[in-house]
Amino acid sequence: MDELLAEFVAETREMLEASEGEIIAWEADPSDRARLDAIFRFVHTVKGNCGFFDFPRLAALSHAAEDALADCRAGKREADAALVTAVLAVIDTISQMIDAIEAGEELPEGDDTHLVAALALSAPTSHPDGHDKGEESVPEDPIPPSRTASIATQRSIRLPVDLLDRVMSGVSDMVLARNDLAHRLREAGNQPTIDGPFERLTSILSDVRDAITRMRMQRIETLFNALPRLVRDLSGELGKQVTVDLAGGDVELDREMIEMIRDPITHIIRNAIDHGIESPAERVEQGKRESGHITIAARQSGNTISIVIGDDGAGLNEDRIAKKAVSSGMITASQRANMDREAILQLIFRPGFSTAEEVSTVSGRGVGLDVVRENLERVGGGIKVSSTPGIGTLFTLQVPLTLSIIAGLTIESGDQRFAVPQSYIEEIIHASSNALDFTRVGERSLVTFRGKRVPCLMLGDVLGLAESEISERERTMVMLRLASGDLFALGVDRIHSHGDLVVKPVAPIVAKSGLYAGSTLLDDGKPVLLLDVTEMASRHDLISPAQAQAPIAGEESDTTNVNAVRVMLFTGHDGRRCAVRLELVRRIETAAASVLDLSGAKPRAVIDGAIVPVVGLPEGPLPAEKLRFLRLFDGASELLLAVREIDDAVECYNTLQPASDDPMVEAITLVGDRPVALLDAHALFAKHGEAPEATNLPWCRLPDSEWARSFLAPLVRSAGYEIANGTDRREDVAIWFDHEFQKVDEPVTAGDAPIIRLRDIPDAPEGADTIYRYDREALLAALTEARSGRAVAGGRT
Amino acid sequence: MNELLVMATIAGRRCAFRADDVQSVIDLGSVTPVPHTPDFVAGMTALRSQTLTVIDTRRAIGLGSSEWTSDHRAVVVLIAGFSYALLVDEIEDVTTGLAQTGTIPGGFGAQWARVATGMIETRTGPALLIDLPILIAGPDRSEVAA
Repeated sequence: MDELLAEFVAETREMLEASEGEIIAWEADPSDRARLDAIFRFVHTVKGNCGFFDFPRLAALSHAAEDALADCRAGKREADAALVTAVLAVIDTISQMIDAIEAGEELPEGDDTHLVAALALSAPTSHPDGHDKGEESVPEDPIPPSRTASIATQRSIRLPVDLLDRVMSGVSDMVLARNDLAHRLREAGNQPTIDGPFERLTSILSDVRDAITRMRMQRIETLFNALPRLVRDLSGELGKQVTVDLAGGDVELDREMIEMIRDPITHIIRNAIDHGIESPAERVEQGKRESGHITIAARQSGNTISIVIGDDGAGLNEDRIAKKAVSSGMITASQRANMDREAILQLIFRPGFSTAEEVSTVSGRGVGLDVVRENLERVGGGIKVSSTPGIGTLFTLQVPLTLSIIAGLTIESGDQRFAVPQSYIEEIIHASSNALDFTRVGERSLVTFRGKRVPCLMLGDVLGLAESEISERERTMVMLRLASGDLFALGVDRIHSHGDLVVKPVAPIVAKSGLYAGSTLLDDGKPVLLLDVTEMASRHDLISPAQAQAPIAGEESDTTNVNAVRVMLFTGHDGRRCAVRLELVRRIETAAASVLDLSGAKPRAVIDGAIVPVVGLPEGPLPAEKLRFLRLFDGASELLLAVREIDDAVECYNTLQPASDDPMVEAITLVGDRPVALLDAHALFAKHGEAPEATNLPWCRLPDSEWARSFLAPLVRSAGYEIANGTDRREDVAIWFDHEFQKVDEPVTAGDAPIIRLRDIPDAPEGADTIYRYDREALLAALTEARSGRAVAGGRT
Repeated sequence: MNELLVMATIAGRRCAFRADDVQSVIDLGSVTPVPHTPDFVAGMTALRSQTLTVIDTRRAIGLGSSEWTSDHRAVVVLIAGFSYALLVDEIEDVTTGLAQTGTIPGGFGAQWARVATGMIETRTGPALLIDLPILIAGPDRSEVAA
């Protein structure tokens, strides 16, 4: 194959890979001109290059695609799904032909008319014959000259991987030898005649090392680029909606490793879409968003790369897996009975557990997971799965780099140094920082990071190192983000240096401890162990079982809202900032000090004709004539909480950190950046609340309608009423719809109970004695009035 | 048959390593401890650009280490692609093995029998020829538990 042709193949390949992502993005947003231009440039370049060689089929195809795209550019037709599919089909065919050309085969004879026809299928919007005129509509020079130039200058040669390996390990040793030399030179003191050349050696070596590293390394992006297309095609085929999120595309991986994980990743994605993610209808039924979501993230840790593939589908079906394993004779039924979910899930990696019976165009092509695992283990990697029913499945692939140079941070704890891969480090927070807010809850240490409580491990404790002279609160925190998205803090005595580390694998006996990902030599020639951050976290249960906690763009707001607690903030008479759950607060009362009755063992107050216990009063004389109270109501009894000042009602998103020291405090949380004690309502009512007699609850009769049952009843109950049912003739108040009330000549209520009438329209007619059905305040007020009327006057007519 | 052997004393007994297995004998510099590894892993040390795992042979056999003095030198061996530095009582000399390894009635005792290929006669007397892969794997779990 002559050089020119080889270049053409290489260039086309490169562009093919780059354009796959573009085309999907373009389909998602057909108005995205930049994407359209990029794809157009690709087909145009292919067409142009074909001119040099004799590839009529290739030329015809790229020409047809170019025409169709040119029409889009000119606004003559819309980019619809059919067009995108047709363009993709053309690109696929081009890619196959390129393969054939590279292999030196004759281009297969074939008929591409159906492809060309497909391009024409979606009729142009305004000009029915638009595509026929394509040639004229091609702009003269659609490709910026610079791009063509840059591509043309890239040349490539083929080298045996063995040779690259040798060069690579040679250079790694050179780096270490240089470090050793540097150390010795430092010890020998300043020697200008040597230092100069040595500096030069250092800089040359670092250049060479960069180049060498890049030789074998490839960004995992090259693999990732093809995935959106795969997901799109599969989900389309299976009638599912799936979005995909890629992270860590800049992680570099040995070229061979990339080839090795290509199939497994494709296989897992196929399975996720085929079996994991439910149909849109099922998803909606389960309260998930219509389109499923797949996240793929790569991260480097020492001499392993973890690739995490998660979906938010139904999770693995343990029963189905078990049944299959039993029926294929892998395990016996009695064995199955003794297996927990975790063990059953691991069966999918066993030889013989293939998905062969479900051969379809989708899942059939993949290799079995047992082969995947075997291949990975052969090179010293591994694969793990975790899955939560209804939430999703998470596959973690560990791919080793037997020898690599990574950016790392050297840390120290208990007089011993360790290294942590830079890729995990989110942030380093120095000891003096107040924002850290170090606390201990039970045995777990917590720090506050970006407004969230984050679990914290002390490196010294994890490794059982000598007791450090630095107190826990004054340690430096290294915030580590795992591939699964989980975050934790690692407390260390001090940070030493950032730098490139040549990581070598540790001996099996050391690797067995599971704490170390490799070892490296520092400049002073001392060996340092590289910590296996992922394993460390998983040993301390810091990794969430499945996708649930992985950061998913767009879903964060949903989840936080669910977790939000609405609280009323106030400052107590003891000056403490506290909060109570807003559901409890019935009303804010301001009352004269005279309502208080301090004569009994417990203070009480008379509010609305009822005697209510009071808590939170200051010791000693009352500070003012008027007192502020929060009137708390638990559905049955009331409690007045005396406060000095009422701040605000807020939604609180931060983690509630349970507090055990004060029985009246449920948890400590952060509001803004200040700690707030959330009062334990349960304990409060248990201690101070006075349980009313059960029969004491007044009865309320509701209109017979669905709305009344589902909307009105909870409100009425929360106002302290029992709902009177149909046959019961007892009622202390009745609620009627006004329009029904009008129809009845003589409304009958037991014991002449008062009637609250509800109207359907917000604006009341002049002088109407009705309440709008959604006027919560008025309704509650009316109910309270009816109730207090009963309590005070014993019922009224 | 005249095989070169590196002679050393381990826990007061004369032992031999095949010279082919031994890469070098080094002066042991500072040893970095490796937390959470079995006690016979003394730590790691650096040899030029290499990192060596330092194995205390006494503990690896299943004997205590405290009652024996250690040589300031260590035997460097390469096993399955990894280099180890073996900590022994004393490194003696290189000598020639005179015969095939053999066994003797009554055996060498359970712990020794486990790590030894057999007894070998040398110019300086009999010694136990150590099976390196078994030695660096450390005592059996059952023995550790016992």
